[in-house]
Amino acid sequence: MSASTHSPVLKHHFDNLEQQHSAERLGMWMFLVTEVLFFGGLFCAYTAYRIWFPHEFEFASSKLILWIAVLNTALLITSSLTMTFAIRAAQLGQKKSLINYLVITFLLGAAFLGFKAFEYYTDYQEKYVPGPIFQKAYADAQHDLTHGHHPEHSPAAELAEHNAGKQPGDAGYLSPQRVQLFLCLYYIMTGIHGIHILVGLGCIAWLVLEAGLNRIPRENYSTVEVVSLYWHLVDMIWLFLMPLLYLTGAGLGKH
Amino acid sequence: MSVISAEPKALGPVPPEPETPAINYLNNNYGIWSWLLTTDHKRIGILYLLSLTVFFTVGGLAAGMVRLNLLSPSGAILTEDQYNRMFTAHGVMMLFFFLIPSIPAVFGNFFIPIMIGAKDLAFPKLNLASWYVFMLGAGFAIWAVLAGGIDTGWTLYPPYSSRYSHTNVVPGAMGAFISGFSSIMTGLNIMVTIHKMRCPGMTWGRMPLFCWALYATSFIQLLGTPVVAITLVLLMVERTAGIGIFDPSIGGDPILFQHLFWFYSHPAVYIMIIPGMGVVSEVLTCFSRKNIFGYKAVAWSSVGIGVVGFLVWSHHMFVAGISYYSALLFSLLTMFVAVPSAIKIFNWTATLYRGSITFQAPMLFTLAFLVLFTVGGVTGLFLAVLGTDIHLHDTYFVVAHFHFVMVGGMVLAYMAGVHYWWPKMTGRMYSDFWSKASAVVIFVGFFLTFVPQFVVGYHGMPRRYPNYPAEFQIYNILSTAGASILGLGYFMPSVYLTLSLFFGPKATANPWSATGLEWSIPSPPTQFNFDHVPVVVCGPYEYSIGVDQLGRTLPEPPEDGASLVKKETDVVG
Amino acid sequence: MSDDSHGADHAPTMHDIDKPSSLVVVFLIVIGLSAANIGLSLTGLGKLALPVQLAIGVVQACLVANYWMHLRRKDTVVTLTALSSLFFMFIMFVLTLSDYLTRHYAAM
Repeated sequence: MSASTHSPVLKHHFDNLEQQHSAERLGMWMFLVTEVLFFGGLFCAYTAYRIWFPHEFEFASSKLILWIAVLNTALLITSSLTMTFAIRAAQLGQKKSLINYLVITFLLGAAFLGFKAFEYYTDYQEKYVPGPIFQKAYADAQHDLTHGHHPEHSPAAELAEHNAGKQPGDAGYLSPQRVQLFLCLYYIMTGIHGIHILVGLGCIAWLVLEAGLNRIPRENYSTVEVVSLYWHLVDMIWLFLMPLLYLTGAGLGKH
Repeated sequence: MSVISAEPKALGPVPPEPETPAINYLNNNYGIWSWLLTTDHKRIGILYLLSLTVFFTVGGLAAGMVRLNLLSPSGAILTEDQYNRMFTAHGVMMLFFFLIPSIPAVFGNFFIPIMIGAKDLAFPKLNLASWYVFMLGAGFAIWAVLAGGIDTGWTLYPPYSSRYSHTNVVPGAMGAFISGFSSIMTGLNIMVTIHKMRCPGMTWGRMPLFCWALYATSFIQLLGTPVVAITLVLLMVERTAGIGIFDPSIGGDPILFQHLFWFYSHPAVYIMIIPGMGVVSEVLTCFSRKNIFGYKAVAWSSVGIGVVGFLVWSHHMFVAGISYYSALLFSLLTMFVAVPSAIKIFNWTATLYRGSITFQAPMLFTLAFLVLFTVGGVTGLFLAVLGTDIHLHDTYFVVAHFHFVMVGGMVLAYMAGVHYWWPKMTGRMYSDFWSKASAVVIFVGFFLTFVPQFVVGYHGMPRRYPNYPAEFQIYNILSTAGASILGLGYFMPSVYLTLSLFFGPKATANPWSATGLEWSIPSPPTQFNFDHVPVVVCGPYEYSIGVDQLGRTLPEPPEDGASLVKKETDVVG
Repeated sequence: MSDDSHGADHAPTMHDIDKPSSLVVVFLIVIGLSAANIGLSLTGLGKLALPVQLAIGVVQACLVANYWMHLRRKDTVVTLTALSSLFFMFIMFVLTLSDYLTRHYAAM
């Protein structure tokens, strides 16, 4: 006990390091609970609308860029693995390998964001953005179709082709408005998840700095562990976002 | 601190009054930065106390304007637009910037560590950050109010708030969003502290009921606040981008906003009231010199209210167009929440029974709480029943109901807490006469303000309307008259409490002869609260055998009206 | 100190340090499940798609929580905290859907 009651990393208001570590870990878990409920509100909204508009959701989902999502899933899961190795290095007091693992984790997370940004850019190029852009693309495509032209290729044009000859209310008609509802959810959910990744990257960069300055001695490994808890949660949320947003329409037309 | 006996000795000598240390938490450091950069939970509690007083005043002034305007059936002083902004300002300031932080942020910060025998909260820096985040949120809200106001009502329902309102909805929602993080930080800190930092002997079963209540509150803050945070984000996105998931023109459902909003905002009324119940449990036992009746029932009913409070939110939406079956379900569940609240009321009443009751100011406020909260709770059942709710929905009956709970309940409990712990926080006693007078004035003013509103609401006067039929004028005049008395009642403490800081006699360590750990240390406390780690040997309310939680004999309780002070100096007033 | 601060946490002992092999095995399972999820979805599961996808997600989340987030250390308070988030999510979903699933039959 004496080592743990006189450590330089022990804060004054705790009795010993065990108490300090378990308080830190519990605090982070409680924060994660708030994160789960924060995303829970979004998932709840998604569920309500998916129950109401399943076909529009399938169609809209099938026009997202699946290969980027698959790649990003692999990147995130791998970054979680390297994060657990970082904790291990911190526990063993191996400063160099701790920094290495943290840097790898950071790079994987940054790559995730890079691909995500590229995906947003591509979506934007394809006019797959809710609001006037999508509405105009859809109206233009409808106009082209009624005049016998071939519309410029885009998700909105595919929707217009699908709806050609159908009226709202007909079987198989997909409402372009509700497709935009899916897109709103898609941008907000992935956007907020991306902000969480960004915050996580900031925390990892801070850990690298601390480790470089020798401020993470072995008995203070819980600092790394606390950040890792957050990182794993963000990863876990992606594991649900991925099927709900990208895989919903992945099998469209193959059934 | 000197004597720690293993067994409670009821008949042992009263321990000597602890030496008042020259250095305490208030004078160990001077200067503005020693306050603005402090991580001492007591100083942060004081920072919250000061800022909340300001926001309460702002919200109160807005309420005064609303009441003045209602003096005349066609609106006395404000245009209709101004009226909308005024009641919204009142709601936003009072709910997000006074009621939600009030007891947890002031007394929770100040007393939770002391009551469980810890040196500080688990995360002192997070605690300071929570105050800054709170002030930032308040800054946004005040900016929104001053730069033209918000006219949506504090509930911010779309599509009005997202599309049609031309007022500062985004800054206002941003203020509420940001202050939500402060609420989460405080709640998280209190929960971790209670879990991990209790001193030896402080088992869950020996924890004061105030700690239990704050635990239940914090847990609602943690679980509810993030949901309203995401809801406000969705609203701000929709308003800024012109398209969003509550937008009916793309198939969105505005009622979904109400679901997510009330998932937090109904439990939030329990964030506001449960801490008040905690204060009441402390004060009631002390001033009736009796052990609490049914400790476990009162403790667990706090948690019970916390959980059941999450099951009832759609009773705010009975006429919003939700499904009939869902409404039936929520009506039933809403009635269940009356059970744990009633358990508390019955136990408090049983605690009073045959107690040696004295009527100092904290006790007067507490007794007023019991009466007003019971009225507020019972009228709530009218609103839980589908049939009557359709008649009473969005009338002044609802306004009166929730003001009975929020003001009659929570604000009076807050006042009880201020008067109970003031000697410990400042080391000074306040005027006995004027504090009692203010309790009576507030009680009378409150009744006069809100009872007419029940009547006028039952007769169908809708809330949030600037105009009303002439036959309702007499009730509105009564109500405004009551509000003036209430305002006077709130003004009085600000005078005699301030005066007490300079002229009040010095308080002893345990002026009320109470049992909690906070009364075993000097008034005001030193920076780290305890010189030695305390060892708790007794339950929290051993008034019947007359020992405190350290097992020491309690000093003689103050006679009602007698001097509570060391020196025979004049009481201010 | 208080009863629950005696939990399973100490300064790092060999007991607390993860074995690299177990970390890698968990990684392979999680990433394999993701691959399976994508593969199954591409073949078009129809009505089964959502339950299958969510079931796979839940298994993955359990693995991550249990092994990488160290829930298996059995610190009771932490486990209860984690479960409370699921419980309140459940309440939110069930009660909100009680409205959305029945509104077509009878709106007030």
